[in-house]
Amino acid sequence: MQVRSLLLTVVVALVMSTANSTRGAETVWSGLVIADNVAQPSTTPSELKRLEQALKELFGYNQFNIIGQSSKTLKTGEEDWLASSKYFSLHVDSRGETSAGYHLNLKLYKEKELLLETEAKLSKSSPLVIKGPQVGGGQLLLVLIVE
Amino acid sequence: MFMKTFEEKWTAWLDGQLTGKELADFEASLPDKGAAEAEKSDARKLGAFLKQELGARTLSNEEFFSNQLREQIARESAQQDRHGGRSTWWTIPRLVWTGAASLSLFLICALVVMREKNPAEQSAYLTQILNMRVDAAVSPNATISVFEAKKDRVTVIWTEGLQSLPADYAAK
Repeated sequence: MQVRSLLLTVVVALVMSTANSTRGAETVWSGLVIADNVAQPSTTPSELKRLEQALKELFGYNQFNIIGQSSKTLKTGEEDWLASSKYFSLHVDSRGETSAGYHLNLKLYKEKELLLETEAKLSKSSPLVIKGPQVGGGQLLLVLIVE
Repeated sequence: MFMKTFEEKWTAWLDGQLTGKELADFEASLPDKGAAEAEKSDARKLGAFLKQELGARTLSNEEFFSNQLREQIARESAQQDRHGGRSTWWTIPRLVWTGAASLSLFLICALVVMREKNPAEQSAYLTQILNMRVDAAVSPNATISVFEAKKDRVTVIWTEGLQSLPADYAAK
């Protein structure tokens, strides 16, 4: 009975430490989004559904179209990828994984011209939205979500 | 056979249970009726005396049940004594092991919570912006602010003053 209790203790400890430290391969969705106001807005893309209400309230637009996107499954946490449209490209360089999230370096290019750059620790539970330049009557938004 | 029959009749005669012809025949068979009568009288006196002095006292209902209970308790006590007292799962070694296991669990949970709240790592639930810059040559008046929207825990980098672009740039 004593050995059984000891084993139980060890098993519980292992399970708890494993549950805490294990982080499966996660996918980061990154998108270039044009937000604008139209009389009859089209349906919001499924990738943005969970953020639709927040985006509407934050930016005041009623339509969101994805002009470029990329969905990257991170295995090592140190990968890079590109989400691009005809004129814009978002280069994402993942520089590692911490308990706070993925350490990302983001660069937005207009053709070959660097418009803005940022470094962020992207959390699974906290999507990142970057307000980009005004494009016509709308707004370019950069969206990153850990799925 | 005769002796047994005589003894039975003698006992019945002493108890006064012989009647009629049977009584007359028995008394006629006695060799010394006077001595027999004296013995009968003595036996009756002795019987009355014993009945008075040694007769079993009849128990009332309350005493009967009380007695039953006392006997049951005594039986159970004797049984427990034979098994070394009252048995329980919480023996001393088990108590010690259970305590050690509980303490281990507490320490593990405490470590997990402390690690989650380590200020160097900050909260894992918020996206953190480490730095941000815009090309000053292209957008010299650009400003940047960061905030968290309560709704959906969205972290927002809000830029103002970036160079506006024509609608053509919205092409896919």
